[in-house]
Amino acid sequence: MGLYLLKRLGASLLTAVIATFLVFVLVRMVPGDVVAQMMGQAGGTEAEAALRAFFGLDRPIYLQYLGWLGDALTGDLGQSWTRGMPVAGMVGDAFLVTLQLGLMTLAIATLIGVPLGIVAGIYEGRPIDTAIQGFNVLGLSAPVFWVGLMVLVAVSSAFSWSPPLRFVPPTRSLADNLAILALPVVSLALLQVAAYSQFVRQNVVTALHQPYVRTAVAKGMPTRIVFFKHILRNVTIPIVTFMGLILIQILGGVVIIESLFALPGLGRLLLTAIETRDYPVVQGALLVVVLVAMVVNLIVDIAYHVIDPRMRVS
Amino acid sequence: MSLILNARRLIGRRVRYGAMSLLSAAALGLASAANAQAELYGPVPENPQTGGTLEVGLLVEPPALDPFHQAADARIRVTVLMYQGLFYESADGEALPLLAESYEISDDGLTYTIRLREGVTFHTGKAMTAEDVAYSYNYIRDPENGSPGAGDFAIIDTVEAVDPLTVRFDLSEPNAALPMTLGNKYGAVVPAGYFDAEGAKNRMNAESVGTGPFKLVEFNPNQNLLMAKNEDYWEEGAPYLDEINFSFLPNSASMLIALRNDRIDLVALSRPQDVQQVEGIEGLVIERFPSLNQKAIDLGSETEPLGDVKVRQAISLAVDKQQIMEAAIGGYGQVIGTMVAGMQERWGVPLEELPNETVDIERAKALLEEAGHGDGFELTLTTINGYDWMDPAAVTLKQQLAEIGIDLNIQRVDLGVWINNFRSSQMGFTFNDWATQPDPNLLFYRHFHQKPEGADFRNWDNAEASALLDKGRAESDYEARRELYSQFQTIMAETVPTIMLFSADHIVVRDEAVKNYVQHPTGWYYGFARTYLDE
Amino acid sequence: MANDTLTAGRAAWTQRLGRTLRHDPALAFGLALIGVLVAVSVAPGLFAGQSPFEIDSAAALQPPSAAHWFGTDDVGRDIYARVIHGARITLSICAGSLAVSALLGGMLGLVSGYFGGLIDQVLGRLIDVMLSFPPIILGIIITGILGPETVNLVLALSIVYMPVFFRIARAGAMSEASLPYVEAARSVGLTDGAILRRHVTRNVVPLLLTQYMILFPLILQIQAALGFLGLGVQPPTPDWGAILEQGKDYILFAPWMSVFPGLAVLITALALMLVGRSLQHRINRR
Repeated sequence: MGLYLLKRLGASLLTAVIATFLVFVLVRMVPGDVVAQMMGQAGGTEAEAALRAFFGLDRPIYLQYLGWLGDALTGDLGQSWTRGMPVAGMVGDAFLVTLQLGLMTLAIATLIGVPLGIVAGIYEGRPIDTAIQGFNVLGLSAPVFWVGLMVLVAVSSAFSWSPPLRFVPPTRSLADNLAILALPVVSLALLQVAAYSQFVRQNVVTALHQPYVRTAVAKGMPTRIVFFKHILRNVTIPIVTFMGLILIQILGGVVIIESLFALPGLGRLLLTAIETRDYPVVQGALLVVVLVAMVVNLIVDIAYHVIDPRMRVS
Repeated sequence: MSLILNARRLIGRRVRYGAMSLLSAAALGLASAANAQAELYGPVPENPQTGGTLEVGLLVEPPALDPFHQAADARIRVTVLMYQGLFYESADGEALPLLAESYEISDDGLTYTIRLREGVTFHTGKAMTAEDVAYSYNYIRDPENGSPGAGDFAIIDTVEAVDPLTVRFDLSEPNAALPMTLGNKYGAVVPAGYFDAEGAKNRMNAESVGTGPFKLVEFNPNQNLLMAKNEDYWEEGAPYLDEINFSFLPNSASMLIALRNDRIDLVALSRPQDVQQVEGIEGLVIERFPSLNQKAIDLGSETEPLGDVKVRQAISLAVDKQQIMEAAIGGYGQVIGTMVAGMQERWGVPLEELPNETVDIERAKALLEEAGHGDGFELTLTTINGYDWMDPAAVTLKQQLAEIGIDLNIQRVDLGVWINNFRSSQMGFTFNDWATQPDPNLLFYRHFHQKPEGADFRNWDNAEASALLDKGRAESDYEARRELYSQFQTIMAETVPTIMLFSADHIVVRDEAVKNYVQHPTGWYYGFARTYLDE
Repeated sequence: MANDTLTAGRAAWTQRLGRTLRHDPALAFGLALIGVLVAVSVAPGLFAGQSPFEIDSAAALQPPSAAHWFGTDDVGRDIYARVIHGARITLSICAGSLAVSALLGGMLGLVSGYFGGLIDQVLGRLIDVMLSFPPIILGIIITGILGPETVNLVLALSIVYMPVFFRIARAGAMSEASLPYVEAARSVGLTDGAILRRHVTRNVVPLLLTQYMILFPLILQIQAALGFLGLGVQPPTPDWGAILEQGKDYILFAPWMSVFPGLAVLITALALMLVGRSLQHRINRR
């Protein structure tokens, strides 16, 4: 297992290097750089050339990348070109916000989605299954940003209330923190509850149709025991995998929800950094997105091994 | 030597906000009777309450807070509260002494001797001297230091401290706009040697080192900008608020919802039509103020067939500005000719005296016929992503130009792309949205003077107009200057390098408890230095 | 006589379809909705009498009424007409970009899975890289570089799900390549290219088609999201995401500008999802 993980880690790191290089080149291909934005209408001057040299934008692109990579490997992500703040700090703060959003959504999706899915699976074909499936399809069909917008307007109209504007970390005030995150989490969770319940239902149904489960039921084994002994074990692995998938999906997909609810998360940081052509921040934020995806996948893999000894062979 | 004390001219100034808002008119009436200080930043309130935190919503986040290296308007709007130049751009286009107290111009117009205000201290606690002033302006005008404002200060030959409270500026040629240039758009007076320290530029995002009425407390990306009252501000009693907290909201939907639910006390709306949605909400007051911005159609002569003046005239004759404005901003603005609304009275030519201003489809068609485009042609209009007014304006323009046989394609590009085209003088046929400081030289010179002195973004290449711009820049007598710029505007309307459509009003929506906020026509937030909360 | 078999065959076919639909009402419902959407896309004029482009400033921002079923937008255009006319452009962008990803991803996946080795390693790594970008960020960067034109939007969207098709085709090709018939085909002198074309591809295509249906509602939502961010088609072309983008600024005053195009996305996604699920179900059972 150790060797396997090492290999996986190596492959993932290679992916990260290629991905960051691609981003490095791609963002520089978007017309207009940070200097052009700083100069506004006063372009084409000596001052502009001086600024470009200051940022190292006059060097060949591969040298710029190698410089960045070298620093990144020592843990230095550089400074924001607009804010002058250390990128690592900015990205770290933003990541915590997004992570909290993701974990809360995941928790709700798991707490509601898994039971729904199990119920639907066990009562396959009954009205309750149809109802849950109906909800699932609706939840999966509604665009997340649209749901967010509707929720925001509905709550604002009905209760004359909207979330506070300044983000407060849960360590400072949990109540304020929850007041800020409640609506975005609800907006995100609708989709994920549906996705989760859908997925779990499918696995339960598959498990129920396995010959040995059918035999067990036919032999008169109590339903409760069938459920715990056979079905639950069979669906645990997919549930864990799916958790990872959902977390990655949330982290990568919150851009619009963060913008809509003015949350200072990673998605919004990326968006504004691309807008202001703040390359070091774009690089740093995307690096984190890529690394997180890697780590989550790795954890899912390890969880596999722990839960299911059979996996250790492969 | 001619001595000019600007305070003298303040007496009897006309109040032009009057039509716009009852409240601001009354307040300004008070101001004109008071002394020069009253005019700085807006009218001084009679019995202001002190204290409290004003919550302001911002739709555009300043990329950074460095007045020396950042040209973004979103930066200027907020840094004018923390940093100060030698002069203040008054609402109706005069440069009033700010950190300066008075100034003298030599007879040849080449030397400005400026006496500084006494008792000014920086946010760092250090007292301001002529050394600091000389250092600050010498820093910004050195191109090596990479300031976007360097070009504006290129007319300055030397800046020297004469004594602790006197500075002398020597110019390479006479320039009547010097005091306005020493305003608050670029640069400011900061402690001498500030930029010698490593990371000084970045430190401006963490702490302010200016002389303004507010100090920076914190600046959090994608979140907020918090300023606190400068307790040692040189004007006795000002400012009145303890804190101003600017929250950055990424879209107007979130902004309006926050405003309605009392999360925000005041917001200056960039899209006047947002106002419709808060009209009638109890406790909110809506006010309109004239602006110095212009929404325009630019016609780059490098793009076929816009090189032909007849084609440009035909387009101008087909454009119904009123209709475009109605579609774009729902009428919350003023149609303009060749001058932004806020400066029309002091510098503009009346619209009815300008050529090509009234819609005349027949003449437009005839002109196209003469130019060899009787069958019409295809043309691509560039609009900018994120500028909401451009989309409805574009579809309206498409309909108008169809009347004279021009088939308009609409292409929306990112701001970065657009700026690149603009700066390389490849504007083509595009919407533009820009603003100016209240001086005709600063408005026109760079945009419309022939290369290489000007940037001539539209490849207009008009020698006669350029000569007028040169004369206007050197002339310091108001009447003579006005005449020169009137001639310039007539040429512009005749040969159509640009079609200025309208100036959108600044619209401020505020809670009733927010008192005495007057929006400066630049859109900058000077007014908060005079605002108080009545709670 | 030949005619008789044909009719008989047709009868059997329609009977089978009828039976399938009766047993699977969700599929029937989904197919009916898709039928309507296709009809709307092909001939929007039949469903909406008003022009989606006609400006009428006097009638701006009107709530839904008999004259304007979905209300009007900020320049007085009929939202119903814009939503109806938006179906074609929205659906073709999604269908087109998904087709590009299925074709390219599928082809690369087949090659990667069939041949294995170094090719598989390199392609696998590239796909991993593509997977590591959040789709919306990818869309922003690509349309930023190339300009927000419809073609570039299709390109950006096609990259989003290419890895999914790649993996399915790769897995399919791998399992096929290990089957005895491939070995047999080789021994009778068929080239790898021919085997891939004739046999492996035929078995993998149904998997890709099913995946196509399953991903369609997802790409529709991403397309709407990009439109919402202003990266969609150029105005004044009606596109659901673009209508939503204009609508968000009027959300308090004219919510109908946002509600109806959003519902259009929702209903379309729903129809596609019902059909996709049913298809997948059938494939799994087989």
